[in-house]
Amino acid sequence: MKHLKLFLFTLIAGFGLTINAQTADEIIETYLENIGGAESWNKLDGIKLSVKINQGGMEIPAEIVRLKEGKQMVVIDIQGQKVKQNVFDGEVLWNTNMMTQKAEKGTQEAAENMKLEKANFPDPFLNYKDKGYSIELMGKEEIDGTNTFKIKLTKSPMLVDGKKEDNISYYFFDTENFVPIAMQNEIKSGPMKGKMSQITFSDYQEVDGLYFAFSMTQGLKDQPGFSMSVDGVELNPDVDVKAFEYPEDEASEEPKDKN
Amino acid sequence: MKKITIQLVFFLCLVAFSVQAQDDSKINGEAIFGDLTARHIGPALMSGRINDMETHPTNPRIIYAGTAGGGVWKSNDTGTTFNPIFDDYCQSIGAVAVDPNNPDKVIWVGTGETWTRNSVSIGDGLYKSEDGGANWKKYGFEKSERIANIIVNPKNSNEVYVAVLGALWGDSEERGIYKTTDAGATWSKILYTDERTGCADLAMDPSNPNILYASMWEFRRTGWSFESGGNKSALYKSTDGGITWNKIHNGFPEGQLGRLAIAVAPSNPNVLYTVIEAEKDERKGLYRSDDAGESWVQLNNDFGLTVRPFYFSRITIDPKDENVIIKGGLTGSISRDGGKTFKPLGNMHSDIHDVVFDINDSDRIYAGTDGGVYRSWNGGTTMEIVENLPLSQFYHISVDNDEPYNVYGGLQDNGSWYGPSRSTGGINARDWNSIGGGDGFRVLRHPTKNIIYSESQGAGNVWRYDVDNELIKTIQPLPMKGHAKLRFNWNAPMAISKHQPDRFYMGSQFLHKSEDMGNTWEIISPDLTTNNPEKQQQEASGGLSMDNSGAENHTTIFTIVESPFDENIIWVGTDDGNIQITKDGGENWTNTSLDIPGLPKHTWVYHIEASVHDKATAYAVFDGHTMNDMTPYVYRTTDFGKTWTSITTSEITGFARNIQEDYVNPNLLFLGTEFGLYITLDGGKSWSKFTNNVPSVAIHFIDLQKRTNDLVLGTHGRGVIIIDDISPLREISPEVISKKVHFFESKPTVMVDQSGFSGNFGAETQFVGRNPSRVAQIKYLLKKRHTFGKMTMEIQDMDGNKVSTLSPGKSKGINIVNWNYRIKQPKIAKGKTTTGAVSPRAPAGTYKVVLTKGKETYEHSIELVYDANAGLTDGDRADKQDVTMKLYDMTQELAYIVYQIDAILENTGTDNKLGKKMLALKETLVITTGDNYVGSAEPQLRELMTQVFAKIAYSYDSPSPNEMDNLSIIEERFSKAKKDFEKLKSKAKTKSMELQSFEDFLND
Repeated sequence: MKHLKLFLFTLIAGFGLTINAQTADEIIETYLENIGGAESWNKLDGIKLSVKINQGGMEIPAEIVRLKEGKQMVVIDIQGQKVKQNVFDGEVLWNTNMMTQKAEKGTQEAAENMKLEKANFPDPFLNYKDKGYSIELMGKEEIDGTNTFKIKLTKSPMLVDGKKEDNISYYFFDTENFVPIAMQNEIKSGPMKGKMSQITFSDYQEVDGLYFAFSMTQGLKDQPGFSMSVDGVELNPDVDVKAFEYPEDEASEEPKDKN
Repeated sequence: MKKITIQLVFFLCLVAFSVQAQDDSKINGEAIFGDLTARHIGPALMSGRINDMETHPTNPRIIYAGTAGGGVWKSNDTGTTFNPIFDDYCQSIGAVAVDPNNPDKVIWVGTGETWTRNSVSIGDGLYKSEDGGANWKKYGFEKSERIANIIVNPKNSNEVYVAVLGALWGDSEERGIYKTTDAGATWSKILYTDERTGCADLAMDPSNPNILYASMWEFRRTGWSFESGGNKSALYKSTDGGITWNKIHNGFPEGQLGRLAIAVAPSNPNVLYTVIEAEKDERKGLYRSDDAGESWVQLNNDFGLTVRPFYFSRITIDPKDENVIIKGGLTGSISRDGGKTFKPLGNMHSDIHDVVFDINDSDRIYAGTDGGVYRSWNGGTTMEIVENLPLSQFYHISVDNDEPYNVYGGLQDNGSWYGPSRSTGGINARDWNSIGGGDGFRVLRHPTKNIIYSESQGAGNVWRYDVDNELIKTIQPLPMKGHAKLRFNWNAPMAISKHQPDRFYMGSQFLHKSEDMGNTWEIISPDLTTNNPEKQQQEASGGLSMDNSGAENHTTIFTIVESPFDENIIWVGTDDGNIQITKDGGENWTNTSLDIPGLPKHTWVYHIEASVHDKATAYAVFDGHTMNDMTPYVYRTTDFGKTWTSITTSEITGFARNIQEDYVNPNLLFLGTEFGLYITLDGGKSWSKFTNNVPSVAIHFIDLQKRTNDLVLGTHGRGVIIIDDISPLREISPEVISKKVHFFESKPTVMVDQSGFSGNFGAETQFVGRNPSRVAQIKYLLKKRHTFGKMTMEIQDMDGNKVSTLSPGKSKGINIVNWNYRIKQPKIAKGKTTTGAVSPRAPAGTYKVVLTKGKETYEHSIELVYDANAGLTDGDRADKQDVTMKLYDMTQELAYIVYQIDAILENTGTDNKLGKKMLALKETLVITTGDNYVGSAEPQLRELMTQVFAKIAYSYDSPSPNEMDNLSIIEERFSKAKKDFEKLKSKAKTKSMELQSFEDFLND
């Protein structure tokens, strides 16, 4: 009987602890622990994801590369053509124009904001204080029918139409397993400005001791979006840094059109 | 070991207990609704009532609109477009205030509209956002009902004044002026008169935050009267931050006062304006003080300044010129001579409630009206409407059975309309059709003919519109010999019959019946109301300003329904609390509501829903808010009204107006309240708020479209909101929710052949309503969200061959996965450019859905059917399928050839005879130069093949002779190319190359 009481006490105490005593830092600590441990994540130099973007049954294969020093690119496979989008070499941001198939630079503002993203690698919450980020537990919220902790992540201010603005994301950590199942961002510019975008995460799987969400859905909050499933994750991939460089001389290499 | 066992047993018991505790017949909907999400279809073309406009003190691009029933909207582009920022909270807004010390971050919102017409919504307190509107926190004032102003000290964010107008329908002590000095943590009431008098307007001297001006207003509304004014109405001034207040009436009219407005000129704080509602007409109107309220001079009592003070009482002064002032009103009035003379503002929707000037350029003006927000670029001379504010305020909606079905409804001050539930490119402004003027209320479509009934206020007009022949006739029942004067409600009830298509009912105090669509009327009841003469004194209504618009007509019938089982059973509900039933077509009537447990007497019967499941069953929704009773009252009878049982629970917030019964599952009910939509899955034992894109908006009417199972909400502030296909909710039971995965049954999906052109030029800044999904939807319930491990979904044919891969939803509750009923795209030959990718549709038939979750697999089947509207025979369909798949295979074959050529070329190079020939062949197969736009090269085999492939696969029709002819040319060319390739290939040393097999190539 004594044991029973003790057991009950522990159970209630334990329960009480998880319900009440979570701080933002504890949640993040547990999260990092659950996805492989901060130490292992700190060792990462780069990630290459092989993904399929799926919209209602149409699949587009793509590769996403992100490196520690901020370089990144998305390579979409369209009918065997590898088309690079959202490429950043640390200074220059560029995309491929789908009409001319030639590289075009993004705005300087977008490039400046991309530089800030460097600190997000491999996970914005890893060493977040060193990055100058701050976190705040906003409370609990139900997402996907599931109880979550809503954590506000404030990163370094970003440029919006020439002005510095707060760079805030909301992450929703499942209260059971402490991994984020959704992330929301206020759209900062363009006609959608002011609306919330949302990404949901699922299918967490282990890759060499680290956990990654193998499935993501992205769109406007409360509206259908598109999905992305991950086929493979390569840690510390071997990537030629030239692949990120803006192809300055591409135009001159093009043969003149016969027409 | 023993101890462990005991512990284990105990733990299991505990678990079992907690499971048991949840596992009675109550079902929590919030965890079930999942992907079931609403879509908004507007309309926005007539928009809706605006209560308060607000600018940003330093950024002219930012404008806020606080709306009467549709929440807070923010513009980031100087009023070109707006986005909602307050959807999760009460949508009735009294005041929006930006903290001038921190204007990008801190926004205060006071809920509850303040232009106190009969149909106003209520508020539920004060809110603040500290991050520009992304997150909100409540700061009390739950019972304030209406907040008129919020002013933040421009030098101290912690100091905030809140003017509470307070309850409209009854006594309340939560009124007057409140002040916080700790940013909202604590509040003190600094000016209070009595429980009938609230603060209608508050202003601060821009040069001295300790100087405040407050107008207190004595007012009261009932269901049958309105009273503005009394001895307590007054204008006060404080010079010590609200500690002491003095009346400033020097020069004011004698006698009682009504609603007063107050404004301080930003350019000269000694100049004040007030608009006064007084006893004598000649003493009403605009007054000015040039000595900060010491004395007042009357300047003008034009109609534009004195009209309906309870509805229009806002003065706006040009921030740069104290002699330019605008007064809200029927048209809005502007003076450029310090208030001596006025002219109307430019043409716009009538009833202007608030106006703001741009912070830098006074030529730019924003006006909030009964019909949305208007902008002016020339000082108010011409006005243009903001086109993306879907704030329409429906009193009632109904649907027809067309394809797509139409939604009909009447709007506050915006007539009556109908529009489609789906349209090419989304539901646009131009898709809506006007079907009545004035204030619109009930609109019903004739059950079998293309005839629409609509009405304006008080059944002043009831229109019968023959849509096909464009013929309009007014058919309202007129006074008849031997009967008393007719009393119609402002929102007069009409009803049609399920049994006799031409039958049409209307209710005054009597029930009127017509068997010929309103040409002839007979009265088939005695006075069914209480006929209380005290509630029939509308000509004395208004207080200091008479206001007999008909909006207060009372002791009238409000809702009528004929039983779906028996045309002789008719239920009638009255605004003074009677539920009358006849079982013999009107010969005899019984009042069933004389003694309903828990229901205050004379509570307004807002809606009666006669059950489609049982003749003796009906639901009644009572609305007590006009008696200052905000409790939701919903009752069910199963014995023709002999007894009524409440089916509400404490889970419901806000008084209720309408209930909709599901046609299939009698336990599934939908309830519209002042604060949103509630759903019960267990016959009313428990209710859950539905929030997936349904804001906390007042829902006045709900309909359920029978063919589509779409739940259609008529909201009073956010237009029409539709939840497509609620049928999954019918299957929810304790058994179903305990399953790990449960697939919902669905009707066969029609692969739609119909399409159209959307040509939307010039509509960039317009609101466009979202269309429903028309693709195949796989719907299932997950007991728990899937977060760890792989979960995938495939469509297979019945032999297990993969047809398509889908991304399954992972939510706890209902998941909806879309499949565009197309098979995987064929592999396409690689060229220099890309070509159109053709994904043919899957043929009609049954398909397997295979859901793999971890190690477990769940299967379900869905059915696709062809669109009968296309008029194709089975033979046509088979032809189309054969030719399409032939082209599909050809496309992949060509892709494989090009792959092989590329592989060979890579191996041998082009600097030899074989290489040159291979390259020459390739250049005839795919484009090898140019780009995807105007630099495009001459099309080759791949492009020609794709062209005819797309033409055939994307046509509704079977292949035409012309197309077949074209195909044969391509086939010939392809067959020659294949031969040429084989010849060349035989010369290449392919054995030493690692060429993929055709199958591997396709799966790569």
